[in-house]
Amino acid sequence: MGEFSNMSPLKVLERSAGRELGKGNLGVLIAGAGLGKTSCLIHVAFDRLLRGEKLVHVSLRDSPDKIASYYEITFNDLMKAQRKEHEEEVWNLLERNRIILAYLKESFDLERLRVNLENLIKGIDFRPATLIVDGIDFTDARREFFEGLKELAGAFEVEVWLSALSREDGTEAEQGAIPPPCCEFVDLFSVILQLISSHDGVFLRLLRDHERQSVTDTEVRLDPNTFLAIE
Amino acid sequence: MLDDIGRIRNIGISAHIDSGKTTLTERILYYTKRIFTVHEVRGKDGVGATMDFMALEKERGITISSAATYCEWRGHAINIIDTPGHVDFTIEVERALRVLDSSILVLCAVGGVQSQTISVDRQMNRYKVPRVAFINKCDRTGANPYRVVEQLRIRLNHKPVLMQIPIGLEDTFSGVVDLVSMKAIYFEGPFGGELNEEGIPAHLLEEAAKRREQMLDAASMFSDELMEAIFDNAVTEELIRQAVRRGTISRQLTPVFLGSAYKNIGVQPVLDAVTHYLPSPAEVKNSALDMDNGGKEVTLSSNPDDPLVALAFKLEVTPYGQLTYLRIYQGSIKKGDDLVNTRTKKGIKVGRLVRMNADEMEDTTEAGAGDIVALFGVECFSGDTFTDGTLNYALSSIFVPEPVISLSISPKDNRSKANLAKALNRFVREDPTFHSRVDHESGQTIISGMGELHLEIYVERMRREFMAEVETGIPEVSYREAISQRAEFDYIHKKQTGGAGQYGRVAGFIEPSDEGAYEFRNEVRGGVIPTEFIPAVDKGFQSCLNKGLLIGFPVIGLRVTVNDGAYHVVDSSDRAFLQAAIGAFKQAYKKARPIILEPIMRISVECPSEFQGNVMSSLNQRRGLIVSSAEDGIFTTVEAEVPLAEMFGYATTLRSLTQGKAEFSMEFSRYAKVPNSLEEDLKIRYKDKEKGR
Repeated sequence: MGEFSNMSPLKVLERSAGRELGKGNLGVLIAGAGLGKTSCLIHVAFDRLLRGEKLVHVSLRDSPDKIASYYEITFNDLMKAQRKEHEEEVWNLLERNRIILAYLKESFDLERLRVNLENLIKGIDFRPATLIVDGIDFTDARREFFEGLKELAGAFEVEVWLSALSREDGTEAEQGAIPPPCCEFVDLFSVILQLISSHDGVFLRLLRDHERQSVTDTEVRLDPNTFLAIE
Repeated sequence: MLDDIGRIRNIGISAHIDSGKTTLTERILYYTKRIFTVHEVRGKDGVGATMDFMALEKERGITISSAATYCEWRGHAINIIDTPGHVDFTIEVERALRVLDSSILVLCAVGGVQSQTISVDRQMNRYKVPRVAFINKCDRTGANPYRVVEQLRIRLNHKPVLMQIPIGLEDTFSGVVDLVSMKAIYFEGPFGGELNEEGIPAHLLEEAAKRREQMLDAASMFSDELMEAIFDNAVTEELIRQAVRRGTISRQLTPVFLGSAYKNIGVQPVLDAVTHYLPSPAEVKNSALDMDNGGKEVTLSSNPDDPLVALAFKLEVTPYGQLTYLRIYQGSIKKGDDLVNTRTKKGIKVGRLVRMNADEMEDTTEAGAGDIVALFGVECFSGDTFTDGTLNYALSSIFVPEPVISLSISPKDNRSKANLAKALNRFVREDPTFHSRVDHESGQTIISGMGELHLEIYVERMRREFMAEVETGIPEVSYREAISQRAEFDYIHKKQTGGAGQYGRVAGFIEPSDEGAYEFRNEVRGGVIPTEFIPAVDKGFQSCLNKGLLIGFPVIGLRVTVNDGAYHVVDSSDRAFLQAAIGAFKQAYKKARPIILEPIMRISVECPSEFQGNVMSSLNQRRGLIVSSAEDGIFTTVEAEVPLAEMFGYATTLRSLTQGKAEFSMEFSRYAKVPNSLEEDLKIRYKDKEKGR
């Protein structure tokens, strides 16, 4: 499945310094409402799963059935784009390496996540390399929460990808500037990506790449339907 | 017969076990004056609820067979099918959903959306069944209907809309506020039979106004008229009902009602909802296959004057003979009519035509499109289509899962032996997921079904209803065999031992088929195998499928292509080519790298969140693959895929792991290859068994 790296939205990182997010670090994907944050995050998940890594998808909003169907749709798109066969075998392999943890009705807190990850590691020997966390409301989140999440990422040696709904404050953001809400916790995120929809298409733009300066022009164009990189 | 099809409702009542659906049905029958007193499910009075009519059901407090029952409410005819809540009886639910137009989804105000609710809801989605929800047991400690509404939204992806709010909750639950009429309703008199409408209690006015606004918002999405009326402050009850009805029938809205069937609160408004919001048979599109036109799909008219099309969806043997439940989709049936079974082409005469009220019946002379009735003395199978003989239509069959578990049984004495045969004959006709066969090698009778409990119930029914005492073996998983690669065959069957000789040569290949079903392709050119012998070749291959060569289980997913062969003008015969095909199968099978497949079950365990780790470990130890875990603050639902072979005795393990606080449901998911170590074990066991014979 090496061809996927050419289509993965995470190609944007290769265009920068080529560094991964890295264990113990937080990465965030910012976008406006309805732009496709979950779909894009699922591509990040596939980027990891197709390398044979284990992954936990944490959802704070949708039921596991819904998340699973997002994965299935994305996988079918991916297969179609690569004109692949034997998808059943690959799909079974991916399903074995992915577990969905859903926290519905605001039942999410870091302590529950910590307990659940310990259960996965000790109880069933499932040691994830990546956590995808979808649905955190940044409006209510405090700095301590992200500090705790970063600490958890370090303790469990995982990289954590989050999604954030960008806040429109009426002013035209300067290109490359970190938009709210992430601008408040910018030091806690190692990688910041922004999904942008314009007349020219949908783009994934790199706003922050670890300590690297001047990443402002690094972006990839995405297929607006599948969110796969097209150039 | 009710002349106006618009006033017929065919509804199912589906839910998680113990949500109180049987009690709800009992109260419905009481308020519609079909029965004149009420009983509890586990009847302290020794009578039991009317719908749980089999003695065994009364004892266990669960509903096994779905008994159809008829009642009338405010000028509407309602046919109700009470459906079982346990997954082992899923075929009963599937049958009910195939013939019904809509359903009441019963939820427990304490337990909310439970594991079984999820599988029943998935089934209802498959059959596109509109539903209203009834949140029962609002009088119980811990009742929280608002939490259940939220679960409907999040866990089942419904768009629930509260049509009522509760007056009090738990032990203070005393009635409901109807958000359409904005009146408080109390249920008084014997068994809550008298409705008393009053003004909304002052402390609930604000909440009622807020919830009504939410309800109007949701309903107005389905009616421009209602939206305008909201702006003009001219909303009428009729406008709301029309809009909610549209939303419900299009399955984009689930109206939610509240109550406690046991305490006789809130049942009559649910009956009103059935008439207001659920579709009549004329509003549901039904289709059949025209067998005279290559199986082309045709839409049925629901017109009682058109030619008859009806489905036999349920058979029951009563002390008075076999009873066949029919759903009439088009046309009508009168006493004395001649009907034709389109599968067997055999004609029958309609003798006694009855409507069922659980195990009591009332005679009728006529029934029309949309109705559900029962006939006596009709020889047929469940799923057969009946017409008046002018049409050759087949109603698409009900999805019947393959059995996944088998059990050997042997009668304890001679009397039981004779009775057992009668019992098996009856069960096989009643339930397509129950199979029975005699293993010719061991001489044992093998019964197969959908789970341990499913077979357990039948063994008990043999004892109770048929006086057949049987000894049972250990439950066995129904494995399957399949090939994993293409392999060629070229086999000559030649026999010359005096008398007429036998000669037949077949060549071609076998390969795995994606579809899972057996497939035979004839690519013979130039008449090297004469056309008249091809069916014998096909039959020869098919005869090998019942018993694979690895461990003796059925072979699935095989495609056979025959592309060459030879015959002899004198010695070739059907028999010779049949034997040649059997030889060819044996020649190619081992080369095609056969594998053993086992049934994988989708398991859903619901437990208090603190037991999540224990539950996941227990499933993992059983070769389970954890798919997900969903928490809602109190409970966690762990979903996993586990081989059936590992699930025996899981109920006991789970009980001890979770102090009895967890429950699980299980349904067949797919077949998957067994691990190599187990494959070797199974092969050794099979060899030992063969040696022992």
